Amino acid sequence: MIEKFIRQLQSDRSYKKQIVFKKVFTSQKPCFGELDFPLQANIHEYLLEHKIHLFSHQADGINQIRKGKNIVLVTPTSSGKTLAFNIPVFEAIQNDKKTTALYLYPTKALTNDQLKVIRNMEEQTGILANSNIYDGDTPKHLRPNIRNKSKIILSNPYGIHYYLPWHYKWKTFLQNLKYLIIDEAHVYRGVFGSNVAMLIRRLIRICEYYGSSPNIIMSSATIANPKDHATKLTGKEFEVISKDGSPKGKKTFIFWNPPYLDATKSARRSTHQETKDLLVQNIIGKLQTLCFTTSRQMTELITRWTREELYRKSPLLSKTVAAYRAGYLPQERRDIENKLKTKKLIAVVSTNALELGINIGTLDSVLMSGYPGSIISTWQQAGRAGRNSRESLVALIAFPNPLDQYFMKHPIDFFERIHEQAIVDLHNPYITLGHIMCASCELPITENDKLYFPELFLQSLKSLEEQNLVRKTPRGYVYVGLARPTDLVNLKSISHKNVSVFYDGKILETLSLNKAYDEAYQGAVLLHQAETYIVEELNLKRLVANVRKEDVNYHTASKKTVDVAIANTYEKKKLKTTIGLGEVTVTEFYHEYVMKTYDEIIGRKPLELPPLTFSTVGFWILIPEKIADHLNNGGFNLAGGLHAVEHAMIALSPLFAMCDRRDVGGLSTIIHPDTGCPTIFIYDGFEGGIGISETLYSKISQLLIKTLNLIKSCECVDGCPSCIFSPRCGNENEPLDKNAAILILDSLTKQLSVNELNRKTIN
Amino acid sequence: MPIFYTCKKCTRNYSKKQYAKRVYCRICGNLLLSQFVIDPEIKDGLTKNSNWEKKSVKKNLRISSKQSFFLDRAAHNLNNRIKTRKEYLLFSRKEVQKKPNVIEKEQYLYNSEYEDALDLKRKLIKKFEKKTLKQAIPGKTISNNHGEYYSIESISESGFKKINDKKCAKILISDLKLLQRIGPKRESHLKKNGYATIEDLKNHPLWKKSAFEFINLIEKKQIGALQSYLWKSLPKSHPYIHYLAGLCKIEDFAIVDIETLGLSERPIILMGIAQIRKNGIYTNQFLLRDIPDEPSAIWAFVSCLKKECSLISYNGRSFDLPYVQQRLAYYGLDAPINNPHFDLLHFSRRAFGSKLNNCRLETVEKYLNIGRGVNVPGALVPDFYQTYLSTGNVGPLVAIVEHNKQDLVTLATLFSRLYEEWKI
Repeated sequence: MIEKFIRQLQSDRSYKKQIVFKKVFTSQKPCFGELDFPLQANIHEYLLEHKIHLFSHQADGINQIRKGKNIVLVTPTSSGKTLAFNIPVFEAIQNDKKTTALYLYPTKALTNDQLKVIRNMEEQTGILANSNIYDGDTPKHLRPNIRNKSKIILSNPYGIHYYLPWHYKWKTFLQNLKYLIIDEAHVYRGVFGSNVAMLIRRLIRICEYYGSSPNIIMSSATIANPKDHATKLTGKEFEVISKDGSPKGKKTFIFWNPPYLDATKSARRSTHQETKDLLVQNIIGKLQTLCFTTSRQMTELITRWTREELYRKSPLLSKTVAAYRAGYLPQERRDIENKLKTKKLIAVVSTNALELGINIGTLDSVLMSGYPGSIISTWQQAGRAGRNSRESLVALIAFPNPLDQYFMKHPIDFFERIHEQAIVDLHNPYITLGHIMCASCELPITENDKLYFPELFLQSLKSLEEQNLVRKTPRGYVYVGLARPTDLVNLKSISHKNVSVFYDGKILETLSLNKAYDEAYQGAVLLHQAETYIVEELNLKRLVANVRKEDVNYHTASKKTVDVAIANTYEKKKLKTTIGLGEVTVTEFYHEYVMKTYDEIIGRKPLELPPLTFSTVGFWILIPEKIADHLNNGGFNLAGGLHAVEHAMIALSPLFAMCDRRDVGGLSTIIHPDTGCPTIFIYDGFEGGIGISETLYSKISQLLIKTLNLIKSCECVDGCPSCIFSPRCGNENEPLDKNAAILILDSLTKQLSVNELNRKTIN
Repeated sequence: MPIFYTCKKCTRNYSKKQYAKRVYCRICGNLLLSQFVIDPEIKDGLTKNSNWEKKSVKKNLRISSKQSFFLDRAAHNLNNRIKTRKEYLLFSRKEVQKKPNVIEKEQYLYNSEYEDALDLKRKLIKKFEKKTLKQAIPGKTISNNHGEYYSIESISESGFKKINDKKCAKILISDLKLLQRIGPKRESHLKKNGYATIEDLKNHPLWKKSAFEFINLIEKKQIGALQSYLWKSLPKSHPYIHYLAGLCKIEDFAIVDIETLGLSERPIILMGIAQIRKNGIYTNQFLLRDIPDEPSAIWAFVSCLKKECSLISYNGRSFDLPYVQQRLAYYGLDAPINNPHFDLLHFSRRAFGSKLNNCRLETVEKYLNIGRGVNVPGALVPDFYQTYLSTGNVGPLVAIVEHNKQDLVTLATLFSRLYEEWKI
């Protein structure tokens, strides 16, 4: 069927050889497993009724869990991981009515989805667990009952962070906690992961205080280091189960490169339009399709354009397309999920919100409009097609940016790339310090707690004591600071301010303040389910935006410039050039917005919004004028060279600072007001800093040498994702000049080793 | 014992010997910081257990000084962020008048109040320089199973009034709707048939049982049970619930208020209980001389709340009591508090809510012309206590103790005044 569809595409008049590569993954038969001893009757019946035979990885998982082992399940989306841990949990609750289990999910949407699955299982097995969600949305008056009566509670790390100081209210639940389930553990990487690792240690500390010692069951997408990751996240030993026993249908993966507009080959057709066309063809070809885009606005626009085009062919068909993204109210999202499952919707356009394991049933086709940014994400998204043994199609539609184009030119490289590692840092002073502070507010910290925080434990306490944040008492160290510790430690670099969008007196959606600056300023066209709303007012004090419904044929995009200012210099060192470390203020100015129809700009309007600022820690490298002049005179692109160095250094930061590249920000400029020279800034993407820049700064000479080696030894001509292309670049990876970058780094590292020896510290 | 010394800026290390000669870094001239110093003045009451760090220090020496330097800086940055993050908002009076509803939810201060309070702190610090705690605040150190705390007792004049138990019973019995499943319709029907009070319903074939139960509760003065019963059909702020206090003996009231280092999850630094005696209001305050006193002070406080006590508080139902429970649990202690509780915030909202911008105790106080002398605003209590902790000067403590006592006395007055507001 897929083969036929592709042939149809290729024989269509509009086809211009967009398919630049095709790879077929053959089907795979299911592999079933055996349990060491049989299931209880009611669970067994549940499986029979649903015609479920346990696959090998499920049976393995259950066997290991029953033995009391901690396990991490690493199999693709939709391979039935949930069942592998639900069965032992239900078994345990049936055997001992007091047993409890805590499920942690990274998103609320996933929590809602899984609650349905668990409640369904409760109903059909007759094992009453009174399962419930307990998170920020849970009404206050229901909370005591859930804490006291539910055997299964579903929550998220953000919530647990705030509930831990109130552990006495959770006493009964925690005393009987037998299983801690951490789903989608690959999401917890980089600084977020390091924070969650500390949080889980805090949770285990409280559990053990109440005399329980839960087994940990983890699931993760394919990553390079599952066992190591699980151990780092929790401090426990794990068995890895990675052999997927679920059946796989034949999967065809195509690379789709938008065609050149004319013979000059200077520009390609818009990726969004190509995506829309391909989606329309999918729908007409009766393939149920999920289309991933890289932004919320694109999700809406592609939905809108697809509907418009379909409407011309068949008004009925245009109603079978919907948009899905974060910000929609839960009920709306659930509605879309259900309609997708029941095939009332043929296509859904989504942000990566549907990348995690929300149960949406079998899909025939997945379109990715642009490279999702990591190999892990790409395979997670691709895994959404072809549940069970059905044949499926995956298409990666390239953007004209260098990164996407690189993969179009080197498709084999893409398939040979190993999945990224999930990196968690247990030695980060900021993170350790922050969580030890939080822990000191949950129970006094004593010698015994070294078990939970083996790294930097005593030193952290001393540093906190010196700042009068903890005080020593005979019972241990007690928190005495003047702010709530949980408010000071953010698990993720997201603003806590949320803007509610009101339409006709009702909440239409909610979005973070940063997103509101991008999408919901006065005059903006806010798209919701592909309908256009005009924002009448964005009230920043009350965090409310009011919109009116108006059908317009344009959309808007705010333009921002980022400025990094040096607020306070901690130290400087002079190598071949001067490198500084200190507090920087990152400011985003939103000065205008443009109105666009499709990709064409039809108007500009000024924006009056106070700039968004945050202060963090960063370091900066000054480029001596000699080098700059040399580059300018030699016909190189100075800006491109600086930009390339910035990207490559950020790409290597995980190697030195145990972070994720998303945790770091950068800015390069050919002249900076604070330094008066061409400057490269690298800074922590976290309010107040998170220790990455400091580590990078202390290893700067190694970092520069490694960066040079990386770029120099890369076999590409003008740059590639392995060296200077960044998937997160705000400027579409432009300008970039590989050779200029090599020259800059060469001059910065020459004789560095000698310099390093006579390193002088100046004030 | 100091292990070695590090320059604050360039992280160069110095041994103890070198340190004896210089206090500043040879290279950059910055102050040297001692590393892993164990407080030489091991305070009274510190048990052996608490000195485990000493043992661990040696093992940990291997950690590079660079890293502990990072930690120091991280802690410093953290503290800077704490300083910018107040748990109260500063407003000018104008702003407050413009948007009164913002203030209901947040702790806030007028700019002028803030300035006055800082001024007060300075004056107190000067006044009590070199004074000991005993000299500044007469009281005594008391010890119990969980350690020591500082106890302050005093007597103030009382204007405490309540209705008597007979009047209370009369009011309750005359409203048939208090029984469950009797609404206005049924009530008028019953009244037509000659059942004027719940007492009369004892003879009604259908309502006999619930009437007996209800009257039994009143006769046995089961205030807690009656409260829970009435809450099923009435809002928590209903005057009837306030009238219930009539069933409590005057000497069994306990007015409670706590002062803390923050809005949640931080030590309680002072707890106060006021009881009504013949010669006035007798207040007993439990003060922490330092954080180690916390468990013993809380324990002493909760031990004072006898089973027969009825509590009076301001927002105690959602603030003070859960806070106390949480701190007890923090120290691994447990003492359930199930006393009947009259939370005057609920009643004040009902009585004054429409007339006032907000129902903070200070605002209600002003409205009712209940004066108080020198005052530290509640929001600044943590700041005052931190100053005491870091300087050892007892001046700021004087203001906190006085503030807490004033709150207790105000609550006694407010409790009595509220009766005048009800129109039934």
